[in-house]
Amino acid sequence: MNWKTIRDLIGVEMKAGRMLRGKRLIKYNTGRNRFFTYLEYGVAVAIGLAVGVLIGYFYNSAFPADIQSQFITVFANFQVSLPTLILVVTLVFTMMQQFQRSGTSFKNQAPYWLPVTWQEHTTASIFSDVLGIPLIAIAAIAPAIIAIAAFTGQLPLAIGASVAMCAAAFTAGATTEVFRILQVRFTGAVYKSSGKAAIWVRFASTLVFFVLFYIVYSYVIYGTGISNALQAVASVQSAAWFVPFVWVGVTLSYFASGMFIYGAVFLILSLLFILGLFYLCVSLNTRFGLYEPPAITVSSGVYAPKTGVLGKLGFAPVESALLRKDLKAFTRRRELISAFILPIVVIIIPIFSSFNTSTSSSSSAFPTQFGFAFTSLFPAAVMAMMLGNFMTGEEGQSIWRIYFSPISAKNYVKSKYAFMLFFAIIILPITSIVGFFIYHPALGTMFTLIAESVFVVFAVGALSLANGIKGADFNEVPRPRMIRAEWSIINLLTCGAAGLAVLAPLIPNVITDVTGIQFTFLALYQAVIISGVIAAVLTVIFYQVALSNAKELLTKAQV
Amino acid sequence: MSTNYANAVELKNVTKRYNELVAVNNLNLTLSQGEIFGLLGPNGSGKSTTLKMLLGLVQPEEGSVHVLGIDAKKDPVAIKKLVGYAPEAPHLYEFLTGIEFLDFIGDIYGMHTEEKRSRINEYLKALQLEGREGDMISSYSEGMKQKVALISAFLHKPKLLILDEPLNALDPRTARIVKDFLQELKQQGVTTIMSTHILEIAQAVCDRIGIMYQGKLLALGNMEELRRMASMPSSGLEDIFLKLTGTGDIKAVVEELVK
Repeated sequence: MNWKTIRDLIGVEMKAGRMLRGKRLIKYNTGRNRFFTYLEYGVAVAIGLAVGVLIGYFYNSAFPADIQSQFITVFANFQVSLPTLILVVTLVFTMMQQFQRSGTSFKNQAPYWLPVTWQEHTTASIFSDVLGIPLIAIAAIAPAIIAIAAFTGQLPLAIGASVAMCAAAFTAGATTEVFRILQVRFTGAVYKSSGKAAIWVRFASTLVFFVLFYIVYSYVIYGTGISNALQAVASVQSAAWFVPFVWVGVTLSYFASGMFIYGAVFLILSLLFILGLFYLCVSLNTRFGLYEPPAITVSSGVYAPKTGVLGKLGFAPVESALLRKDLKAFTRRRELISAFILPIVVIIIPIFSSFNTSTSSSSSAFPTQFGFAFTSLFPAAVMAMMLGNFMTGEEGQSIWRIYFSPISAKNYVKSKYAFMLFFAIIILPITSIVGFFIYHPALGTMFTLIAESVFVVFAVGALSLANGIKGADFNEVPRPRMIRAEWSIINLLTCGAAGLAVLAPLIPNVITDVTGIQFTFLALYQAVIISGVIAAVLTVIFYQVALSNAKELLTKAQV
Repeated sequence: MSTNYANAVELKNVTKRYNELVAVNNLNLTLSQGEIFGLLGPNGSGKSTTLKMLLGLVQPEEGSVHVLGIDAKKDPVAIKKLVGYAPEAPHLYEFLTGIEFLDFIGDIYGMHTEEKRSRINEYLKALQLEGREGDMISSYSEGMKQKVALISAFLHKPKLLILDEPLNALDPRTARIVKDFLQELKQQGVTTIMSTHILEIAQAVCDRIGIMYQGKLLALGNMEELRRMASMPSSGLEDIFLKLTGTGDIKAVVEELVK
């Protein structure tokens, strides 16, 4: 392998990050100093070293003997846990980076016309995956633990942990590379094209990420402290010795506890696993690296005329066509799927919280009402706000199809609003059922909040659609943004205000429930009716604004 | 919507400015029904703006634009219903399959299901897209995307075709089919406006050619008339174009590059 070639390829991959950050070069610059390229890693090493020396100094001068022995145990556990922690962090970051890249028009085709071997290409690809946060973490942690270990007398373990961290990061990078190649081959999903399978893989993996994140968060916040958490990681690592990904950590653990034969066995196994993974990457790249974009067949090609259900519901053929097109867009385009993920995350949070609070049930009705409101009302409102926000900008450069097709502003707004209402309303029964099983609200409370959710969805949806049309961003480079940043903020603020305006008549009832002081001057049903009237008025006004914005949009082709 | 019209396209004293830049300057152009018209000009000469004005996408500051008897300012949607447009960049929805996209286009133009089905199948067969219609457009080659864009322009039997570089990326067989098809459509009274940089195509296909430069229509006529205007009796369109647009300093540029 030619390491200079690998270094040059890594340089290209690093520059590819510009696509993600939207960085535009003003002048042709070839003379960038390598010192500045790697400055962040140098700074991380310096900070790590300084922190390590500081902790070591305190350990020597300020810690009493009993704390010192406690510290040594915790520090040993920390070092043993490090390879697995780095593996998880690197996997998450490299996978997320792949998702990020998939949202751009960025292509990572191997430069097959250059004298580069597949080993070099694969090595560069793995190393460049590890660049950024994972490598910065290693660059900071390794000198820190070595510095501390110099004071605590655990230098061999610290050096071993540093090497193990690098091995773990490489393992994670290689794993991501395997997933990337397979994903490209079997779904064609990483780049511009997409398929149903790719979308659901991504959807599931994003959900798994959020669930894992929340479990860790809950453990750290509600659990029994960081030292026990580290102990738990070390124990899990040992218990899962048969999983090759933890073999580096297991090796370290055996060496730390003086079991050198077991340590040597797992060291050999670790090396074999890493080598095997690397050669798997190389062989997959050799086989599929120069792929032809796969033909992703989602229909048989047999013409299937539409039966016109939407037509029976009162939609014109133009509106039905737009609705069907948008439905396909939101189920096939990865950058749009966040509109569906966020409400699900909102549901997951109270479910996990309920596990923590299940033992200490509160007698107050307010947490129940608030929890149910959060679970049922919030996802639908958020979805209405997000969909309204996206639905015009998601057209991207293909907005030209809308411009030169016989689509009136009325057709356009009606189809987009209907789409948004359909999805926001359809999620309402789902979130309400989840909320009901978690919080067991009174039936009156439940129906009141469901009615309010519908009101909010109508008003906020119309407003976000109006904002989305006004602030649409059709640029697809560096990545689809859907809406300009300033309009995103305006949308957030105005939708918040509109939601509050709809809910305002119920505020006295909420204050009464919270404080116990009689503050209400309206019966609940009266407050709900007034809230409905406010929502209806706001909906009509915002819908008209959306229509006016759409008229402006359809004659804006000159921009 | 008016259906009685003497001319397919009528631009009278049309001027369009983008801030200080005059994109189209006092343009007068009349096209009769069944004419194939080639609009030529260097980059930035105002061709695209003119085409956009025909579709009502851009409103002129001065003058009037009538397409198929309809005022482009008053009822652009009515014009779009009668016009088939194939832009230079196809702007297809890449997350749809070919057949889904054409189905979408058929619905947008309010075609009946049976007619839509038979026409889509005919075009897919004629342009050799059969067998790939169920694949995502994102997996298509540039030529296949261009075929889909052309089918989407032809599908609803438009009265006026506006084609921006229509033969881009097409294989010779398909290019020939498209050229012959335009001639057939001409017999049926369909007017075609074609913008292209491939001057041989314009010379071979178009009845009349207009050459735009810096927002003005420098020359308008059939090949014979253009030769007379340029005082180049036996020249091809390329030489006439270069002479009329004052961009004929090719030899000097090439000599400079050779150095």
